[in-house]
Amino acid sequence: MLLQNAIGDALNNSEWTFALVECVHIGGFAVGIGSIALVDFRMLNLGLRHETTARILKYTELWTLIALAFVVFSGAALFLSQTEIYLVNLIFPYKMYALVAALIYNFTVHRRVATMENPPPVLSKLVAIVSLLLWVSVVFGGIFTGFLV
Amino acid sequence: MPTAHSIQSIRFLTDFSESVLAYPIVLSIHLTCIALFGGMILMTNLRLLGLNFMGLTITEMVGSLRLWKRVGAITMIGTGLLLATSEAEKYAPNPIFWTKMVILGLIGVHALIFRPTVYDRTEELDRSPVIPTKVKVAAILSLVLWTAMFSMGRLIAYWD
Repeated sequence: MLLQNAIGDALNNSEWTFALVECVHIGGFAVGIGSIALVDFRMLNLGLRHETTARILKYTELWTLIALAFVVFSGAALFLSQTEIYLVNLIFPYKMYALVAALIYNFTVHRRVATMENPPPVLSKLVAIVSLLLWVSVVFGGIFTGFLV
Repeated sequence: MPTAHSIQSIRFLTDFSESVLAYPIVLSIHLTCIALFGGMILMTNLRLLGLNFMGLTITEMVGSLRLWKRVGAITMIGTGLLLATSEAEKYAPNPIFWTKMVILGLIGVHALIFRPTVYDRTEELDRSPVIPTKVKVAAILSLVLWTAMFSMGRLIAYWD
C-alpha cells in the first residue's frame, strides 16, 4: 500500500514522469518482443538461416530477459499509479492473462523447441507462430486497455 | 487549420476515427510493428557495433532481415498515416508530432547517407579486420533516431 502510494504520487504528480515510464514500457517491449520475434523468424525459416535457432536464442536471450524485466517493472509502476482505473477495465485482465501465458510459453515450450538439435520443421513453425500470436495479443491487449474502458 | 480540417473530413477517415474498433486495431498494428521490427533494427545495429551476433556475418544480419524491415517500415508508415490524417486537426498544431516527423525525415537522410557507404557494402565490411568508425556511427545514430521516434510517438498524446 505504501509502495503503491509512493509510486502513484511520483507518477501522478508529474505528467511527464508517467509519459517517460510509458516510453520505457514501449522501448522494453520493442526489445523484448523483437528479440523473441527474431528467434521465431529463424524457426519459420524467414531469416538468419546461416545460424541455428539455438544460437540465435543464445544471442538474444539476455536482451529478452533484461527488456522483459523493464516491461514488467514499468508496467507495474503504471498499474500502481492508477490501480482503480485498471481494476475496473474490461480488457486489462485479458492482457494480463495473455502476458502470463506468453511468458510461461516463452520460457518453457518455446525455449525447449528452440534449443532442440533437430526439431521437426512443422513443430518449430507451429511453436513460432503460437509465440508470435501470444505476444501480438499482449500488444493488442495493451492498446485496447486504453480504448475500451 | 482549414487544410487539417478538410483532410480529416474525408468520409473514409471520419468513419475510421469514429469506429470503436478500427482505430485501436490500426494503432495496435502500428505498435506491433515497433515491437517486431524495432527488435530487428536493434539487433542489426548491435551486430554493426560488434556487440552481439558475432557468429553471423554483417552480410547475413543485414541482408536476411532487409525484406522484413522494409515490410515493417511500410506497415508502420501506412498505419501511422491513417492514424494521423484521421485526427489531422488534433495533430497539426502539436509540436511533438512535427518533431516526430522531423525525426522520420532524419531517418530518411540516415538511409540516404549510410545505405551506399555501409548497408550496401556489407561484404567489404566482413572482410575488414576491424569495424570502421563510420559503421559504428551509422549504428549509434540509427539507435538514437529510432528511440527518439517511438518516444515522440508516445509523447504526442501528452501535448495539449
